[in-house]
Amino acid sequence: MIELKHLRKQYENATPLKDVNAVINDGDVISVIGPSGTGKSTLIRCINMLERPTGGQILLDGVDITAPKYDLTLARRRMGMVFQSFNLFGHLTVIENLMLAPMDILKKSKQEAYDTGMALLRRVGLAGREFQYPEQLSGGQKQRVAIARTLAMDPGVILLDEPTSALDPTMVGEVQAVIRDLAQSGKTMMIVTHEMNFARAICNRVFYMDEGGIYEDGTPEQIFDHPQKELTRRFIKKLKVLEFSVESRDYDFIGAGAEIDRYCMQNDIPPRTKYRIRLAFEEIVQQMLLPILGQTPIHAMLEYAPTEEQVTVTVAYGGERFDPAEGDNELSYTVLKRAVDGLTYSFDPEREAGNVVRVLIREKA
Amino acid sequence: MLNIEKTTNASELTVALAGRLDTTTAPELEKEIKASLDGVTALIIDMAALDYISSAGLRVLLSAQKTMNKQGEMKVVHVNETIMEIFEVTGFSDILTIE
Repeated sequence: MIELKHLRKQYENATPLKDVNAVINDGDVISVIGPSGTGKSTLIRCINMLERPTGGQILLDGVDITAPKYDLTLARRRMGMVFQSFNLFGHLTVIENLMLAPMDILKKSKQEAYDTGMALLRRVGLAGREFQYPEQLSGGQKQRVAIARTLAMDPGVILLDEPTSALDPTMVGEVQAVIRDLAQSGKTMMIVTHEMNFARAICNRVFYMDEGGIYEDGTPEQIFDHPQKELTRRFIKKLKVLEFSVESRDYDFIGAGAEIDRYCMQNDIPPRTKYRIRLAFEEIVQQMLLPILGQTPIHAMLEYAPTEEQVTVTVAYGGERFDPAEGDNELSYTVLKRAVDGLTYSFDPEREAGNVVRVLIREKA
Repeated sequence: MLNIEKTTNASELTVALAGRLDTTTAPELEKEIKASLDGVTALIIDMAALDYISSAGLRVLLSAQKTMNKQGEMKVVHVNETIMEIFEVTGFSDILTIE
C-alpha cells in the first residue's frame, strides 16, 4: 500500500503538486488523467523519488520513503518505472537490458536472469529479438522491451509515464495490449495517459488531476460517465467554456455579443447555432432578468460539447426565487422556449446564486 | 449595430434594415417608425440585409403591425433563412405578411 500525505512539489517558477493525498491499495490499477501541466508525471516521478518532493510524505507499506536516511534502492526495487522515451541502454542487446538489473541488484545468476528475461520477452511478444540492439527495433518494440525490463525486477508496483505518447500511432496498439495484459496480473499500477478509452478499459480507479492535486478520484464509471466536479466534467466532455459576469444594467452587451461570436468562430460552431446562442443569451439576460434584477449579479456560462454537438447556456443569479416563465415578458419567454431545444429552471435557496436557467441548443448546420 | 433607411413613395413607406435588431437597437427602430407612419397606408419592412432579430425586434414589428392594421397594410420582405426560422418557430410567420 502506498499512502501520499500532503505531498508537495515546488519548483522555482511553478508548484505542480500543492497538496496531494491518496491511498493506493495493493492491486489497484490507476489511470492518472488531466490537462497538460497539472502534475501527472511529476506525481509518479515523486512516488518513486525520481523527483524529491518538497513537502509531505510517501509511505510504502507504512515506511516513509521520503525520510532523509531511507535507503531508496529498497523502494525502487519494489517500484518499476516505464518512461515515455523507453530509456533502454543502447550499447546492450535486448536480453542484456533485461538481465542487467536482476544480476546487479537482485544478485541473480546469469542463467536465472537469462531465463526470466527470455520468458518475459515471450510474454511481450518479442521472442527472437533477444540479441538485437535497441536501435534495430521499432518504437513499439522498444517500449515492450522497456516494459519487460521493468518486469524483470518483479516489482510490486509499476509506474508508467505516458508509455505510448512517443509512439507512432500504428504502434500504440501493441504496447497497449502488453499493458492491458499486465493490468490483469494483480500488480499495482499507475499509468499517466491521455488516451481515455484505454484508461477506462484497464483501470479500477481514475485520478483526475487539476489545481495542484488529485481533484477527483473515482471508478472509471464515476469519472468518465458521472463526474461530480466541474473541472473534471469539462475535461471529460472536452467542454469549451465561455463565462460572463453581468454586474449591472450598464454592462457591455455589444462586447459580450462580440465575445460570443469569437467563441463560436474558434469552435467552428455553425451560424444557425450561433444565432440561437446569442438569442438565448439576449432573451434571458437582457430581456427577462436585467429589468427585474437590477443590480443583482448574473453569471452566464456557455459550454460547447463538440462530441455531443450541443451548446448549453447556463444563467445563474441570486435573490428571491424568480422563474422567467412567471415573469411578465411573455414574448421574450416564448421566443426563447421555441428557439431552443431544452429549457429548464431550478432554484436552490442554499446557494448564493440559487436561481439557474439552463438552455440546450443542438448544433444545426 | 442597425442601419435604418427609409424611402417614401406617395403613401408607401419602405424601411430597409441592415445589421442587428436587438435590445440595443430596437428602440431606435421603434422611434423611427412611429415618427413616420402618419398618412402611410403601406409599410414595407425590407430585411435583405438584416442578420439577426430578437424578441425586442419582434415587439417593434408587432406594434407596427397593430398600427398598420388600422390604417393600411404592412409587409415584411426579403427575409433570410435564419430569421425566417425564428418567425416560424415563434408563430410570427402567421401574424406578419411575409413575402
